[in-house]
Amino acid sequence: MREVYVIGIGITSFSRLEYPLSEIAAYPAMMAMRDCGIEKVDHLYVANMGASRVSGQTALASAVVDTLSLTPAGAEAIENGPASGASAIKQGFMAVASGLHDVVLVTGAERMREVNNLEATDFVATLTHPIAEYIYGTTLPSLAAMFTRLYMDKYGVTSRHLAMVAVKNHDNAMNNPFAHLHQPITLEGILDGPEALTNNPFVSDPLRFFDFCPVSDGAACVILASKEVADKVKRPRVRLAGVGQATDTHAVHEREEPTDLLAVRRAAEQAMKMAGIKPSDVDVAELHDAFTILEIVESEEVGFFKKGEGHLALEKGETRMGGKIPINPSGGLKAKGHPVGATGLGQAHEIVTQLRGEAKKRQVKDAKIGFTCNFGGFGNNVVCLTFMRED
Amino acid sequence: MNLEIYAYKCRKCGQLHYPYRMMCKKCHNNEHNAFDPVPLPHKGKLLTFTRLQTLAADFSVPDIQLGIVELENGIRMLGQLQIAKPKSGMAVTGSVGVVRQMGYNTYHGMIFHEAK
Amino acid sequence: MAVELEQILRPIDHPYPPFPPKFMQVASGELMVIRQVTREEIPDILPHVEPLIHVERDYYDIVSVRVYAELLGYYRHRVQDEYVLVAQINGELAAIVNGRFATPELGVSLHTLALRRGLRIGAHAFAAKMEYHLDVVGQKEVLIVAESPIGFRRWMIEYNLAKRFEIPHELGGVPSYALTKEIFDKARGTLVVGRRPVPEDLLKKAQEKILPPSNPPKPPPDLLAATRAAKDPTGTAILLQRWKLARPASQSDAGGQEGTV
Repeated sequence: MREVYVIGIGITSFSRLEYPLSEIAAYPAMMAMRDCGIEKVDHLYVANMGASRVSGQTALASAVVDTLSLTPAGAEAIENGPASGASAIKQGFMAVASGLHDVVLVTGAERMREVNNLEATDFVATLTHPIAEYIYGTTLPSLAAMFTRLYMDKYGVTSRHLAMVAVKNHDNAMNNPFAHLHQPITLEGILDGPEALTNNPFVSDPLRFFDFCPVSDGAACVILASKEVADKVKRPRVRLAGVGQATDTHAVHEREEPTDLLAVRRAAEQAMKMAGIKPSDVDVAELHDAFTILEIVESEEVGFFKKGEGHLALEKGETRMGGKIPINPSGGLKAKGHPVGATGLGQAHEIVTQLRGEAKKRQVKDAKIGFTCNFGGFGNNVVCLTFMRED
Repeated sequence: MNLEIYAYKCRKCGQLHYPYRMMCKKCHNNEHNAFDPVPLPHKGKLLTFTRLQTLAADFSVPDIQLGIVELENGIRMLGQLQIAKPKSGMAVTGSVGVVRQMGYNTYHGMIFHEAK
Repeated sequence: MAVELEQILRPIDHPYPPFPPKFMQVASGELMVIRQVTREEIPDILPHVEPLIHVERDYYDIVSVRVYAELLGYYRHRVQDEYVLVAQINGELAAIVNGRFATPELGVSLHTLALRRGLRIGAHAFAAKMEYHLDVVGQKEVLIVAESPIGFRRWMIEYNLAKRFEIPHELGGVPSYALTKEIFDKARGTLVVGRRPVPEDLLKKAQEKILPPSNPPKPPPDLLAATRAAKDPTGTAILLQRWKLARPASQSDAGGQEGTV
């Protein structure tokens, strides 16, 4: 297997983007190509979850490759639910590692705010089990809520811990110009104050409004290349050192231990093993906090903390900027935003920016090894990636 | 008419599946239609629950209650709840009713009540 | 003659009790004051509504153009028994809500316009308006319609409003929903909050001057974007002009503002 390097990156603001989806996908690709000074690529992967349903566009990859005038390069769309982004990176990794291609452009885009909030909720809910979950009105927030209740009962996680994740990530996003939410929040305003219940109402108890990520448009891109190509690019060298993926039962209620996210555990193990690292070697991580509880649980499942102790580490500030292992310096999905198909690429963009030392006010000091966890479904299809700075 | 929700029992090894699968998760039996439908029990224990207040547009109610129930035979299922004060671990009984109406399509599912 | 004609055109307002100001803490930890504004303050508000007329997203255009008309109608004495409440954070205008009293028993909710997003300011302001109708004035019910999906979700679904479809609403003649005292009482615990009296310095700061909103919704950088999305998915000519590709190569300098790609 050949080594694979990230030579260029690009991103849009995660907010509301009132452009055609193909242009949203193309814009970060242009930035990434300028970033590394590459004009031609061998192949494109376009990550997206809802183009055909939400944006009314099929065969997105053909539109994107043409928008970028990169024809006749091959192009494919990758759909793997909310893990589409990291899945597409994994495809790009395989293409370069196998020797099939030397330069692969992986871009991901989503335009969710094209539809109203009720339709966006329903669109994401269609990834649940059609017979055993969806027909009951199940949405991702409700699955997360039932999971949270089990976790609270078993491990003593409280609403305060969840609110702490939200406050931390809103604070981090203040230093990220691409983040969707530039709005600091306080524990008093969302939890303790006399009006907190109205500011932060229950959406699906025990989860409340500020436990959820916003609905965002957005796109991000990475360009992957072989060592020979990377040697010619004058940018700090970041290697995609490990990829891992695992699945779990489609219906959440079927899992043997309902508080485990086995797919996260297995995907993380693979991604770290391939890179030859331990969880404690990771300097900075982007975890998939579509719901605040997920940041806590994933931080345990990927191995940063013992099972059931993620919330204690959070209390001690270990996941904060400047802590032992800063999690979601970008603001995470919670505050940076969650354009579903683009999220995995957004995470990779942040980690590469961090490892290059170009994250400015949100820079994690001396970050050499970065990790991402892109969580598809409610944990039924998870892709993890390990990135390493090489000097 | 008594409506039922079915689990699927592997003819080869007896493993119960809910929801349906094409191949057995235990013995990986690869025969087409190798399952017998078995009605799911209606009694069980509530494991976790929520009151969901953001619903898809086809619902005309402000919220619904959802829960995961461990049935008597050990199978777990997700269903709607109609329980004033749900508690983890409480005994529940289910009945099959309309859980969703999407356009002209009516969907039936298990609705759980507090066990008498 | 002119004076007499104005007398005919100008409705006579009935005396209704004023809305007692209240304050609350929002999610950011800041304190927000909701108070009734006088007719004389309307010219201070209009300039902040006008730019929103050009924001298509989330139906800001139709709501703000109507709010503008209603505020002007109030200022120039063309709407009977109208009132306007504003929400202010650090003096900055955060929301405008208005309505009118059709009869002593029946209220009509007109509009709710949030100028700062993401803190549930609109919900607070709407609740204050309902409080005015039902608690302060003591009306029996308030007729409501939504012009946007966000409004529909907030009012019709969260409050679970009663249907009064036989009554066409003043806004567009569409079937009305109604908030009754009974429904309001149910929502009181979770949706209706606020503390009184407002501390003197806080109220003084709010009354002193209505400051412009710090981050109001803005129109997309390309007004044609929505149209192009439907009609011309690869219309790159306009796009290239706008993106000004000559921007510095360092991508961290690009983007960042809401609405720019």
